[in-house]
Amino acid sequence: MSAQTLSEKMISKNHMGINIASVTVGVGILTFPRALAKATSGFDGWISVVISGLVALLIGWLLAKLAARFPRQTFFDYTAIIASKPVAYALTLLVCLYTMLFVSFEIRAIGNIAKQYLFYSTPVEMITLSFLLIVQYAVAGSRIAMLRLNLLFLPVVLVVIFFVLVFTTQLLEIENIRPYFSSSWKSLLEGSKAVGLSYSGFEIILFYTMLMRNPEEGPKAMLLGLFIPVSLYVTIYIFVIGVFSAEVAKNLTYPTIDLAKEVEIPGGFFERVESMFFTIWIMTIFNTCVMWLDITILNLTSMFRKVKKMVWILALSPIIYFVAMLPQNLVDFFAFADAITYFGMIIVYLCPICLLLIAIMRGVKGHE
Amino acid sequence: MMRKFFAQRRKKKTSPFSQHMQQRQTPELTLSPNLADNLELFRTLLGNPHDLLIRTFLIGNTNHTCAVIALDGLADSDMLHNQVLGHIQLMISTSEKSVPPEPDEIIQLLFEEVLSVVEIKKETSLTAALDCILSGDTALFVDGSSELILIDSKGWKTRGIEEPVSEGLVRGPRDGFTESIRDNTVRIRRRVKDPNLRFESSWVGTRSKTELIIAYIDDIVDHEMLDEVRRRIATIDIDEVEESGFIEQWIEDDFLSPFPQAHNTERPDKVSASLFQGRVAILLDGTPMVLILPVTIGLLLHSPEDYYERWIVGTLTRLLRYLAAFFAVFSPSLYIALVTFHPGLIPSDLAFSIAATRDGVPFPAFIESLMMITTMELLQEAGLRLPKPIGQTVGIVGGLVIGDAAVSAGIVSPVMVIVVALTAISSFAIPSFQLAIAFRMIRFFAMFGAAIFGIYGVILSLIAIMIHLSNLTSIGYPYLAPLAPQMPRDWKDLILRAPVTFLKERPQALHPEDEIRMRTGDSK
Repeated sequence: MSAQTLSEKMISKNHMGINIASVTVGVGILTFPRALAKATSGFDGWISVVISGLVALLIGWLLAKLAARFPRQTFFDYTAIIASKPVAYALTLLVCLYTMLFVSFEIRAIGNIAKQYLFYSTPVEMITLSFLLIVQYAVAGSRIAMLRLNLLFLPVVLVVIFFVLVFTTQLLEIENIRPYFSSSWKSLLEGSKAVGLSYSGFEIILFYTMLMRNPEEGPKAMLLGLFIPVSLYVTIYIFVIGVFSAEVAKNLTYPTIDLAKEVEIPGGFFERVESMFFTIWIMTIFNTCVMWLDITILNLTSMFRKVKKMVWILALSPIIYFVAMLPQNLVDFFAFADAITYFGMIIVYLCPICLLLIAIMRGVKGHE
Repeated sequence: MMRKFFAQRRKKKTSPFSQHMQQRQTPELTLSPNLADNLELFRTLLGNPHDLLIRTFLIGNTNHTCAVIALDGLADSDMLHNQVLGHIQLMISTSEKSVPPEPDEIIQLLFEEVLSVVEIKKETSLTAALDCILSGDTALFVDGSSELILIDSKGWKTRGIEEPVSEGLVRGPRDGFTESIRDNTVRIRRRVKDPNLRFESSWVGTRSKTELIIAYIDDIVDHEMLDEVRRRIATIDIDEVEESGFIEQWIEDDFLSPFPQAHNTERPDKVSASLFQGRVAILLDGTPMVLILPVTIGLLLHSPEDYYERWIVGTLTRLLRYLAAFFAVFSPSLYIALVTFHPGLIPSDLAFSIAATRDGVPFPAFIESLMMITTMELLQEAGLRLPKPIGQTVGIVGGLVIGDAAVSAGIVSPVMVIVVALTAISSFAIPSFQLAIAFRMIRFFAMFGAAIFGIYGVILSLIAIMIHLSNLTSIGYPYLAPLAPQMPRDWKDLILRAPVTFLKERPQALHPEDEIRMRTGDSK
């Protein structure tokens, strides 16, 4: 173990970018075309995707700047430097709450979707629990190894979505994507808000910059990390609308998976491609989930240094599981998701940006 | 937790190399000037064995008694006759030189002028002399001197060089390592005529005193890793070491992992290629299995033949092998998942015919696969131990039992037989036997996953395996390098095998000190 040099325990710019892309591409991508089609009623939704992508990039850039000011320091540490210890405790605890709720959301999403597309009689509780156990296993290992899983899984997922898109090209109907540029600005902004949920995740830069070899490359990593989801979302949205038309897309629970449903592989080797698609998709939801849980643990251990990582994992898991089981139906579930996102907007976007402003005004900087 | 426990254990045992060399069992004994006393001491220390050769004689025309001690069979008796006894008796009696009166001067004369042996040294410690005699040297005493001369006379029967049985190749050198460590170092030296090739010799096993050699190329290997290997080897504290497996298990990073963390081979070409890549080889006396460290997943899935064949062939074979790895682990579990949970995923015609063949089968798919896979494991194990002629019988009986009788008896379905055959063939396509065993173990894990959660269970078990592999290290090097961590420069020799003219650098994953393989500009 000692042979591993320090530089290898650090992550590079590209790796950070892939982490951001992995955490962003998760459950949101499966559902966002519905919300977007509802809000913009048409093909113009892609503009909303780009707008919210740019907003995410701006916020992400600011967050990366903040984290880069304090290399090798945890979120808790630099919040304490900028805005005193009590504030740091309060904010970090809220962040932990947010990330923990996010884990609950993701594992419940797995349970719901698996129930819909793979199983008919297996209870959601069991599906969710088994997933949570695997997530625990990943978080219990070393942090850098966990982040390396992103490097393994994201390409697989991208290749699969690429195949789905290639095979649905023949189903595209130009009729469906007309008219262009017919939505009002108001509805486009409405749509941007709807896609917002699907971009949440890039805030991991606040916590993982301390692992970066060159923290000042954070903003560039953010650019790469958001470029992948933005281009993916735009393409998927175009395809969903092109294949189903906006009217149909509004009423599909998981339009992206239903897109895979339309795929017919020549030769008929597989049927029901959507099951296979979702099965592979579990990998990226897993990545998202693991990173959220890891960040929760990271923040908790940065506050309470005496408590071991394993203790937190074991202590938090029942709570996460319990919260995940709370929503009774899909409506509850999506309401829960929206609530987390709004909560998160304040905690991980607004507050850190304020912190950055204060840091600039006070001229506080970290030291290597 | 276990890792921490292990690390502590290691820390405790850590001792520098030199210190380790002095940990001897018997207390330090020095020679007495009296020859008879010395001989008696040797006899008692060894328990007066029948294979101990002691020959006393008078030197030249003087009254000085001399003696040689060696172990019969370990020492080369021809050499003792011609170069040692013959020379002493002949030269001293025929040459004009007079024999000096002092015993120490006689020793000096013998050492410098008389004995025509290359490897020879003087020794005062009796314990050290005893160790040398036990490994085949001959000791020469002169009465009255408290020094003795140790003559390297190792010469016992060894097995000839044969083609490695466990790693056959269509194209490639035919020689393999043998049980003699000297022959093995020769096989490596013959291939690596680099002055920077280093053989670091030491011994392991407090009683067996087995010779161990760490081989590396000094200006390529990552010295940080080398130090770690040395440190771990220095912690080895057992009384006997028969095979390099002991070393492997002692120095591995994670003893709970099913994956091998050191690669063993009996192919000298594989070892030399690994040395040139910046890896370390550990040779042990008494076994043809040489360990290569550190291991990355690529090393286990690649075969030397990939490089000997043209690159297109090499690349395609590799693709095939990665596919085989997937089938070897996941085909039974996919069968279970598809048949039990998701018949809808199979094209409907096929689904009907599978259902029809499974009609009379009384067991669920999981039990069916478990039975068949276990039978296959049994056959494989049985065939391994039997002598070759009977082994074939096992193959035929097993083939019939698995293939035909089980189906006609209605115990398993024909599709299951196809799946088992595919699994078995795939796992034989893995070049590393150790990796194939790991896959065989994981296969059961994936099957359980599939039995509980269908295809969802399969993907969860895949994720779990990946988590494990991502955490796994070999001498501190990530197991999945260059995939994770990403080293795109190494990818041309991972799944692809780029044409040799493109492989200009050594694998980055091993941090070689000298990264460049081709220095003379563009190779074209």
